[in-house]
Amino acid sequence: MSDLQLIESTVDRAAQRRRWQRAWRGLWRGLLAAALVWLAALGAYKALPLPVTVLPAAAVAAGIVVLLSVLFHAWRRDTRLATARWIDHRQALKERLSTALELGRDAASGPWHALLVQDAARQLGRFDLRTLLPYRLPRASRWALLVLALGATLGFVPEYRSKAFLQKERDKEVIRETGRQLADLTRRSLEHRKPALENTREAIKSVGELGTDMMKNPLTRAEALKDLAKITDKVQQDARELTKSPALKAMERAARSSSANSPADADELKKQIDALQQSLGNKDARADALDKLQRDLQKAQQAAANLMNKDAQGVDAAKDSLAKTLSSLAKQSQEMGAALPALEEAIAALEAGKIDQLMKDLQIAEKDLERMREMAQALQQLQQQAEKLGKDLAEQLKNGQVEAAQTTLDKMVKQLQAANLTPEQLQKIMNDVAKATEQAGPYGKVGDLLKQAVSQLGKSDKPGAAKSLAEASKELENLMQQMADAQDLKASLDALKRAQFCVGNGMGWCNSPGPPRGGKGGKPGKGVGTWADDNNWMDPPENELWDNSGVERPDTDPRGHTDRGDGNVPEGLVPTKVKGRMSPGGQMPSITLKGVSIKGQSTVSFQETATAAQSEAQSAQSHDQVPRAYQGAVKDYFDDVKK
Amino acid sequence: MSTEEQIAQFRESYAALRAEVGKVIVGHEAIVDGTLTALMAGGHVLLEGVPGLGKTLLVRTLGEVLDLSFSRIQFTPDLMPADIVGTNLVMETPEGRRVFEFQRGPVFAHLVLADEINRATPKTQSALLEAMQEHSVTAGGEMRRLEEPFFVLATQNPIDQEGTYPLPEAQLDRFFFKLLVGYPSADELTEVLNRTTETARAQVNRVLSRERMISLQQLVRQVPVASHVKDYAVRLVLATHPKTTTAAPIASQFLRFGSSPRGAQTLILAGKVRALAQGRFNVSFDDLRSAALPALRHRLILNFEAEAEGVTTDHIVEQILKDVPKDAEALEAQSA
Repeated sequence: MSDLQLIESTVDRAAQRRRWQRAWRGLWRGLLAAALVWLAALGAYKALPLPVTVLPAAAVAAGIVVLLSVLFHAWRRDTRLATARWIDHRQALKERLSTALELGRDAASGPWHALLVQDAARQLGRFDLRTLLPYRLPRASRWALLVLALGATLGFVPEYRSKAFLQKERDKEVIRETGRQLADLTRRSLEHRKPALENTREAIKSVGELGTDMMKNPLTRAEALKDLAKITDKVQQDARELTKSPALKAMERAARSSSANSPADADELKKQIDALQQSLGNKDARADALDKLQRDLQKAQQAAANLMNKDAQGVDAAKDSLAKTLSSLAKQSQEMGAALPALEEAIAALEAGKIDQLMKDLQIAEKDLERMREMAQALQQLQQQAEKLGKDLAEQLKNGQVEAAQTTLDKMVKQLQAANLTPEQLQKIMNDVAKATEQAGPYGKVGDLLKQAVSQLGKSDKPGAAKSLAEASKELENLMQQMADAQDLKASLDALKRAQFCVGNGMGWCNSPGPPRGGKGGKPGKGVGTWADDNNWMDPPENELWDNSGVERPDTDPRGHTDRGDGNVPEGLVPTKVKGRMSPGGQMPSITLKGVSIKGQSTVSFQETATAAQSEAQSAQSHDQVPRAYQGAVKDYFDDVKK
Repeated sequence: MSTEEQIAQFRESYAALRAEVGKVIVGHEAIVDGTLTALMAGGHVLLEGVPGLGKTLLVRTLGEVLDLSFSRIQFTPDLMPADIVGTNLVMETPEGRRVFEFQRGPVFAHLVLADEINRATPKTQSALLEAMQEHSVTAGGEMRRLEEPFFVLATQNPIDQEGTYPLPEAQLDRFFFKLLVGYPSADELTEVLNRTTETARAQVNRVLSRERMISLQQLVRQVPVASHVKDYAVRLVLATHPKTTTAAPIASQFLRFGSSPRGAQTLILAGKVRALAQGRFNVSFDDLRSAALPALRHRLILNFEAEAEGVTTDHIVEQILKDVPKDAEALEAQSA
C-alpha cells in the first residue's frame, strides 16, 4: 500500500467513525429532545385537564424525534478532504494531510507531491483513531437521563383534575353512552318494523340521529338535555296527534285490557279450548276441584308414609283406611274426567303390601294431577278470554278488537265471494254488518264502508258488498298500522325520557331504572288502582353511591333577602289562597266549588270518562302542575274514580 | 540538485543568514525573520520605529551578509527624485565634444537602504514607485532595468514626528512587509551596550551569493499551497474590504479602504517562506496568520472614526484573524 493509499484509507476510516459518532450523538440528543417532549406532555397532562390521548401522542412524537435526530446526524457524509482538514485541525498537523490528499496526485506539483505525501504519511503515526474519535457518552446523555428520570418521577404524581372537570367528563361519557343506546334502540326499532306513517318514521329517525350526534359529539349536559327535550316535545306532539283518533283510543283500551299473546281469532281460541278439553277428557274438570283432589292425595301420601312406622295391628287398620281413601280419590277423579291410572296401581300395590311401590305410584299420581290442574287453569283462562272476545263484528268493533274484526270481515268477504252462499247466510251477514255500523263510528271510513256494504247487500250486490267489506278490512289494517306507529312512538318517547333521566342525573343507561315494567305487554306495574306512577322512575334512587359533587346549581346558591328578585314560578305552582294546613300525608284541605249543572244523558261511557280523567291527571302531575304535596292525594282520588 | 536538497539548502542558508545577522542585531527576532522572509520572497520591507533602535544597522548588516551590491539613500526634505534614480549629465568626451550621459543613482544596487524615507517629500518618495514594482527606472525617456535581486529596505520614523511626510498609499502597498521596530528589553539593551561600547566589534561573513539568493527565491515560489489555505488568504483579505458582504464587522466600522490583492500575494509568499524555513513542504493556516500583521497593517486605510478613537490597523488585523475562521468547512464538520 502506497503512502497516499494509506492516508486515504486512514482518512476514510476516520470519516466512517465520525459518521457513527454523529449518529450516536444524534441518538442521545434526540433522546434528550424526546425526553423533554415527553416531560412537557406528561407535565401538561398532570396539571391541565387534557385527554389521556395526549400521552400516546407525545410518546409517538418522542419516538419520531429520536429517529429523526439519528437520521439527521447520520445522514451527512463528510468528504475525504473535509475529514482530512478536520484531522489536521484536531491534531495540529499544519494542513499536511489535507494538502497531501489534495495535491498528492497532482502531477503539476512536480516532485513536491511525493514530498507532501511522505511528510503526511509520517504524521499518521502520531495519532490513533480510537483515541482521536472515542465512543463515549456525550454530554447530552446525562441531561437525557436526568430528564427521563424526572419524567419517571412525574409519572407517580397524581394528576390534578378539578371536580368540575371530572363531572364534565362523567357527563360526557354518560351522554355518549346514552346517545349510543338511543341510536341502537332506534335502529333496532326501525329494523324490527318500518313505521307506516311518514311523520312517525321521521320522528323516530330524528331520535336516532340525535343519539348518533350525542354519541359522536358529546355536548354539555345542558345542551344535551335541551336537545333531548326538543326531540321529546316533537315526538310527544306526534304521538298526541296520532292518538287523537277515537278509534286508536278504543284500540289502545282493548290492547290494554287483553293479554299480549291472546289469539285474536275466536276460532283459534276455540280450537285451543277444544284441544285442552280433549286433553282433560272432555269433562268439566275445574281447577279448584283438582286442587282439592291434589290436597287429598297429599294427605294419602302422608298416611302411606306413616304405614312404615306402625305395628302389625295398626298397619292393617291404616291400610284399610288408606285403601278406602284411595278408592274414593280414584272415584272422584274418574267423575271429574281426570283419569289417574297411577292411583289404580297404587291401590293394587297397597293390597299387595308393597309400600314402596305405593309411595312411588302416589307420587306419579300427584304429578299427573298437578299437570292436569295446570291445564285446567289454562283452559279456564282461555274460556275467560273467549268470553271477552266479541262474538260478532259489532262487539269486536265495540271492544276495539280490530284484529278480530278484520278477521271477521275477511271471512264475510270470502263467504260473499263464494258461489254457494245461502240467502240465510247472506241475511246473517247483512244483519251482522248492519249491527256493526253503529259501533264503527269511531273507526273513520269503516262506518261508511259498512253502511255501503249493508246497502249493497240489501240490493243483493254481493261483489260490491264484498269489495266494501274488503276496503273496510283494509281501513282497519291501516288503523292497526297507526296503532303500531303510536306504540313505536311511545317506545321512542320512553327511550327519550330514559335518556333525559340518564343525562340529567349523570347515570349510565344500565343504571337507570327505565319505565316500569310491571306485567306482560308493558302494563302498568303495581300501584293503587290500575295505573301506577309512570314518572316515578325518573326520580333518582337515593342511596349512598349518589354523588352530585361538581353539579352546578347557581339557583341554589345562598342569596340575601334583597337579591332574590321576583322569582320565576311555573304556572302550575302559583300559590292559590287555600285555607287549611298543607302537610303531606295529612288531611287534604278542600274547598267546595259550585259548578254549572248540565242535565241530560251522557253519550260517553263512564269507562272512557274515567280513563280520560286519569290520563289528564297523570299529565298534570308529570308537568308539575300539581303541587308535590298534593300529588299522592290526587293520585288516590283518581284511582277511586276508576273503581 | 533535487528539490529535497534545495529545500535543505534553503533551510541552511536561512539559518546562516539569521545567525550572521544575529551577531550584530540584538533581539528583534521577529524583525529579522520578517526582513529575511521578505528578502526570500523578493519583497521590500518598510521598517518603522523611533530613531536609534537599529533599523539602519539591520539593513546595513544585511548588506554585509549578502554578497550583493548595497547602497544607502538618506532621505531628506530637499532630496530630489533625480538624486535617487540618477540623471543625464553633460559630459565632455576626450575629443572635446559634449554629450549627455546618464549618471546612475543609488537605486541601481541589489540592496537599497532608503533611510528615513518619510522625511523626503512625496514627490521624491514616489521616485521609488517604478523601481520597487517594475524593478526598472525610466529617466530621460529611457527605461533601464535594475539588476536582480532588487530589494528596498526602507526605514521611517513614526509619521507623527516633526518633519515627516506620510508615504502615499501606492508606495506603501509596494512594500511586502511593514515591520514595527520596538524598544529592546533590558537584557537586549545590556547586550547592545556590551557590543557597541567596547572595543570588540562583531565580524559578519557573506553567506549568500546573488545566484543562490535568486535560486532560493525561485524555490520559494514552487512550494505548493492547498486550495483551502489559499481560500483562507482570500477570505482574510476580503474581510478587510469595508462595506462588503465579506467584510468583517470591524473593517466596516473603522476602515476606509481594505487591502489590495498584493496583500493576499504577500500572505501566500510569506507563508511559503515560513513553511520552508520550518522544514515543511506545504503552507499552513498558521503560516498565513503569522504573516498577516506585517503584510496587511500598511495596506489598510483607517477612517476618521478609527483615527479619532485611536484604533490601529494592527488591532483591526488581529480582530479579523479572530473573526475569520481558519477552515470554514473543517470547523463546520467539527461542530456537526
